[in-house]
Amino acid sequence: MNLLWVVLLPLIGTIVPLLTERFGRNVCAFSVAILPACSLALVLMYAGDIFNGEALRQTIEWIPAIGLELSFRLDGLSFLFLLLILGIGLLIILYARYYLSAKDSMGTFYAYLILFMTAMVGIVISNNLIQLWLFWELTSISSFLLISFWSHNSDARKGARMALTVTGAGGLALLAGLLMIGNIVGSYDLDTVLNNGDLIRAHATYPILLILVLVGAFTKSAQFPFHFWLPHAMAAPTPVSAYLHSATMVKAGIFLMARFYPVLAGTDLWFMIVSLTGLITLLLGAYIALFKHDLKGLLAYSTISHLGLITLLLGLNSDLAAVAAVFHIINHATFKASLFMAAGIIDHETGSRDMRKLNGLMKYMPHTATLAIVAAMSMAGVPLLNGFLSKEMFFAETLDQSMLGSLSWLIPLLATVGAAFSVAYSLRFIHDVFFNGEPVDLPKTPKEPPRYMKVPVEILVTLCLVVGIFPAYVVGDLLHVASSAVLAHDVPIHNLAIWHGFNIPLLMSFLAMVGGITIYYNRRHLFNFQSQFDEPDAKHIFERVIQSIVNTSQRIIAKLENGSLQRYIFLLLLFTLAMAALPLLDLAQNAGSRPQIPIDGVTITGALLLILSAIATAIWHRRRFLALIFLSVVGLVVSLAFAQFSAPDLALTQLSVEIVTIILLLLALFFLPQSTQKESSNRRLSIDLVVSGLLGCVIGTICFAMLTTPLSTISDFFLANSKTGGGGTNVVNVILVDFRGFDTLGEITVLGIAALGIFKLIAKMRISMPTRDDKGRAWSNDPHPMMFEMVSQSLLPLALLVSVYIFLRGHNVPGGGFIAGLITAVAIIQQYIAHGVQWIKPRVTIDYQWMIAGGILIATATGLGSWIFDKPFLSTWFDYFDLPWIGEFELASAMLFDLGVYLTVVGAVMLILANLGKLTTSERTQIKEND
Amino acid sequence: MEAIYALCVGVLTTCGFFLVLRGRTFTVVMGLTLLSYAVNLFLFASGRLKLDGAAVLGQSAEYSDPLPQALVLTAIVIGFAMTAFVVILAMRSRADQGNDHVDGKIPVQPKKSSASDKRHS
Amino acid sequence: MQHLPIFPILLPMLAAVFMLLPPLSNSITRHRIFAITVMVTLVITSALLLLTSHQQGIQLYVLGGWQPPFGISLVADRLSTLMVLLTSVLGLGALLYACAGDDNEGMFFHPLFMFQIMGVNGAFLTGDIFNLFVFFEVLLIASYALLIHGGGKQKTKVNVHYVILNLVGSSIFLFALGILYGTLGTLNIADMANKVRLLGENEQALAKAGGLLLLVVFGLKSALLPLHFWLPKTYAAASAPVAALFAIMTKVGIYSILRVHTVVFGADAGALASIAIPWLWPLAILTLIMGAIGVLASPSLRLTVANLVIVSVGTLMVAIAMQREAATSAALYYLIHTTLVTGGLFLLADMIMKQRGKAEDRYVIARKMTHAKVLGIAFFIAALTVLGMPPLSGFVGKILILQATEGMLETAWVWPVILLASLATLIAISRAGTTLFWRTSGESTHNEPLHPLKLMAITLLLSASPLLVILGGPITEYTQLTAAQLHDTTQTVDALLPAGDK
Repeated sequence: MNLLWVVLLPLIGTIVPLLTERFGRNVCAFSVAILPACSLALVLMYAGDIFNGEALRQTIEWIPAIGLELSFRLDGLSFLFLLLILGIGLLIILYARYYLSAKDSMGTFYAYLILFMTAMVGIVISNNLIQLWLFWELTSISSFLLISFWSHNSDARKGARMALTVTGAGGLALLAGLLMIGNIVGSYDLDTVLNNGDLIRAHATYPILLILVLVGAFTKSAQFPFHFWLPHAMAAPTPVSAYLHSATMVKAGIFLMARFYPVLAGTDLWFMIVSLTGLITLLLGAYIALFKHDLKGLLAYSTISHLGLITLLLGLNSDLAAVAAVFHIINHATFKASLFMAAGIIDHETGSRDMRKLNGLMKYMPHTATLAIVAAMSMAGVPLLNGFLSKEMFFAETLDQSMLGSLSWLIPLLATVGAAFSVAYSLRFIHDVFFNGEPVDLPKTPKEPPRYMKVPVEILVTLCLVVGIFPAYVVGDLLHVASSAVLAHDVPIHNLAIWHGFNIPLLMSFLAMVGGITIYYNRRHLFNFQSQFDEPDAKHIFERVIQSIVNTSQRIIAKLENGSLQRYIFLLLLFTLAMAALPLLDLAQNAGSRPQIPIDGVTITGALLLILSAIATAIWHRRRFLALIFLSVVGLVVSLAFAQFSAPDLALTQLSVEIVTIILLLLALFFLPQSTQKESSNRRLSIDLVVSGLLGCVIGTICFAMLTTPLSTISDFFLANSKTGGGGTNVVNVILVDFRGFDTLGEITVLGIAALGIFKLIAKMRISMPTRDDKGRAWSNDPHPMMFEMVSQSLLPLALLVSVYIFLRGHNVPGGGFIAGLITAVAIIQQYIAHGVQWIKPRVTIDYQWMIAGGILIATATGLGSWIFDKPFLSTWFDYFDLPWIGEFELASAMLFDLGVYLTVVGAVMLILANLGKLTTSERTQIKEND
Repeated sequence: MEAIYALCVGVLTTCGFFLVLRGRTFTVVMGLTLLSYAVNLFLFASGRLKLDGAAVLGQSAEYSDPLPQALVLTAIVIGFAMTAFVVILAMRSRADQGNDHVDGKIPVQPKKSSASDKRHS
Repeated sequence: MQHLPIFPILLPMLAAVFMLLPPLSNSITRHRIFAITVMVTLVITSALLLLTSHQQGIQLYVLGGWQPPFGISLVADRLSTLMVLLTSVLGLGALLYACAGDDNEGMFFHPLFMFQIMGVNGAFLTGDIFNLFVFFEVLLIASYALLIHGGGKQKTKVNVHYVILNLVGSSIFLFALGILYGTLGTLNIADMANKVRLLGENEQALAKAGGLLLLVVFGLKSALLPLHFWLPKTYAAASAPVAALFAIMTKVGIYSILRVHTVVFGADAGALASIAIPWLWPLAILTLIMGAIGVLASPSLRLTVANLVIVSVGTLMVAIAMQREAATSAALYYLIHTTLVTGGLFLLADMIMKQRGKAEDRYVIARKMTHAKVLGIAFFIAALTVLGMPPLSGFVGKILILQATEGMLETAWVWPVILLASLATLIAISRAGTTLFWRTSGESTHNEPLHPLKLMAITLLLSASPLLVILGGPITEYTQLTAAQLHDTTQTVDALLPAGDK
């Protein structure tokens, strides 16, 4: 036995039509039918076991982490639904073959249809909650595709979206509900869940999960107040309406309630919610159906009403009610599907569905008419038809409950009213369409459809009759096993007979009949009465609601995400402030135990200078040149501070970086406005000042606390191993090129990338070169003063020499590749400034891009060298040699690494500044080209 | 001494952040530069202050913590790369958008409080 | 292969360098061939590395032979190797797409791309907090340069915002590092985790400030509210392959939060245990909500996708905030799924845009797409995935995260928010899809065939979604093991330090 194939066959079937489409409509339709047929056959093979009351199971591991497994269970209920889904499905395939016009893509249509079929099959034979939900969502998706099959028309799109949104929302609720059930039971296995009904009903969260699950069911089965999407799903091709929106998908919600009946039902809450929702839906649907002029509209609302009836039955918490529900599921599926197909035929052959135009079709299509009339009578609950039987049972059950206490008599009364209306609209369907005079200007003259288009209808109508006349023989056993599965215990079905003698249910049916006829006879007054309310169009309301949601979100986004960098930074700083400041509240005393250094005059003056020029920069930031000068002062003092606190390397680096940065900023300032107006309001300035001030205080405090607390670090290790392990006495440098060489590698990479990025920026830059500054003073017309040229030219070799010296000593005394590189770069730049690009170009023929790459390459290669000695990346090597005349000297792989650094730095800085310089010349055009 | 040092860091940070909050690219760049000074000093401070500790072995009995120095060095270099990039970006931005406002467009009626409302609304 | 752990960093780096030198430089074709070869190799290497660390335990690579905590060491554990592999796959996808022509719209695309990959991989692999900073800078500067690739006003504008914000972020990062070194006296993450427990009163307060400042930095990278505003416009403006690659960038921030705030300030950090969590909870939820609102508000597909990134960030942060193995495992699964699919969506959005003429990717009526069918199918798959609808990977991630809250009080507000967010996404995406593909007027004039490389790229990234479901069993098992490893200090701390140093 292999239940997997029951799902798998249709699943494979989804691709069949896409392959066979090109071989013509008949072949396509036929080939599509094969696999579902096999699946149906497979199911029927199990019929024996099922009728013995067994349930078949199969489980395959999938994703244990979420409790999802391929787990199947075939019991009476699943069996019944499988018959409906696959059986009616096959009829629909046949029907659709004739319904679809030549310009519709049959392959796609069938693919969607079979996908949906698979999903339904999956739902009804799932033995795992997650898997059930999976297929549940799949039905929403495939129904979305089917409703929007004619995607060019806006109603189809809107209807599909509405259906998807409503059922999708329900799906999410259902998921939550199922997960809660899983949490309570500790397993997502349906069997386990069904055996723990009491546990679940007793659990504190039962009401919540009940509501969540029911929301899922109600949205799917179009129960009030979620019913509004169903009529708009009628924009789908009629085969879809017949299949999804009457026979199967909308029954999925019913199935869900039936499936969980043993677990969730039996409480007052269940009764309250389910039966009342059912009752309201029943009445509402029946009432509105009467006023629909569109055939499918009428059928849609009648479907809603009948689903309400079934729901009501399930809500009554009585065994026989449940049986009645199951019975009505069967009956409704048969007569409603056939009615939809008939409507489709009429639409197909007359070109209209408007009952104000469709009249007297009996004359034109007697065969179809007869079928439709029988089906409609069954819908009305006329004796000798299956509709009658389940309606009788329904009446009987409404009488046999006392849930509303002394008001219980209301339920049978309202039930009868509902039934009366369903008689009325059935009557209208029959009378208006097939009799009642002559058709009114129809697009086509009506005629009988192709022979085989009627076959599905005939089969279903026959079923209505057969079941109606010999219920016990035809559906007795099926009904028995199915309802036993719902109730999880055996139920005797004694009332499956046409004649129970004269009793109240019969009376109620009689009243319903009479009432219905009366209503229909006086419909004019009703129609007039109804016409004074303008009927709300769910589609427009829905779209408007969605639109308003969207608009609100857009307003919110526009307000928050207003594209002002200043606000974003402000938020960033606020957040930072909160994060840094709050912990300080726990800081007992900020002065730690570490002895402090006494203050001396030099430092004071330095600090004063620093503070003042920093503040000056901030104050005169709009007079940019001035600000820039102050800024550079700050930079100088900072490097002095480094020198003061025994960090010569830092001092040197800071200094050289300072120079290059300032040159850069000056160049930039040449292209940017030299001064700007006051922009920020004082309010804003003060707010910003407060925030940044607070941040300053916080950082300062932390800094002080840090400085005054003693610390034991890993640095002693570096001091200890620098000479012995790293071969250098300048510990900082050894850390850079050895202990933490990897950082340095990254660092020069950053520099290189920056250079590339800047080159990229400049290449596409279309900037006009100002001839005079803001104040209108012309820039100097002698860009390269004679004196300067001479000096800088003579300086160049000296500078290069210095840089070599700095480079070589780096490993043991302050210096190193980086600083050396910067010095070299500055020296070359000086040449640029002095002589201009044209003068340099022929003389300096280095490709800086290669230089950067080469630098990084050398550094990396040095690191890789250690692999030869089977050491990890960047392991260094060094040794001391003794050469005559020169004396002892050291060779270290670190030096090679440093060379890489040197090259990269020179390359990067040159690439940046040289190209920037080019912007001031005719060279610009050239750069454009090579981009 | 520590107090003064911390004070300097604080002031630099304040000025830095204040300038970063301004609306023009060049000002923001200057702010970032100030900020990076503050950051470097701060990072340096994480190794505590030594007046005459040696950085080179064998020069003196006590040494200043070399690790933060190395870190600051890296930070300086990276900072330089970033500053360079953002400066050129500022120029590019002006070239593309015709002004040097960080949002590419000058807010209307700068004198009015609208600018601040824009942010605090 | 003892050097395996460093390959994911060196390979792209050297590749980039070689592409800047002759004979490769100045020939886009050579660049393409070389780059793709390298990327494929990288994918293979990362896969190998993952397997090695999965089977033989954490791979520690001690650079320069300087044992931790003194030197820098790379840590290739389940988490980092997973992230590296993810990066390589995403990178390959983006690269293939770029090679269809986008790479030629500016200079240095391929070298910069490789540097970016290098930075990301470095950030994932390093076990040293300052080295993490360095690699952050590498990937940032590369991203700055890549962001302006292709040129144009909009790119420049968003780049200004992006760069300045991140520069401020970097300085905050350095402040944080200063504080942490100044209190803990070490930079090795594992060692920090050890030292944190031994801190005194005062240092604790300081270290806490440091740790929280790191949260700010990582929050900025991962677009955590209120630091997320830069993201949508930036990602929407970036050229398609860059945007696709950026899908991993937010994850770098998330990864760092996982590392630092689970290992250093994790459950065992004594007085400083889980300092970030009280902040992470509300911010994560708010991010999720803001993301959903953003998705609803987006007027164009690329903005929608960008906002989906924020939704995913929020979701991930929620999972991280739970600070329990199950949640972390869920987060990791979700992370794989969201990264690859978002990447694919950015590419897809670009293709759709190119076919709709003036309307581009805005949700307005436009002429029919030439390749509506192919793109439609791709979009449908991607949509189902991001909607968390079965049978594609989104739903597994969603269910995992929902289940992870079991027994927590937070369930009461995590569930509704997550579910409502998916409803919002459902509404937005269904509108988007129906408009883009079905609200058409007139036939298409654009009639160039789909570039095979582009198709390949999108297929590669989107195929992740069904695979994640089909192979759901083993993958979730791996993420569970990963989470277990991350939450187990004996593995993430003690194992990485020499026995003497405790």
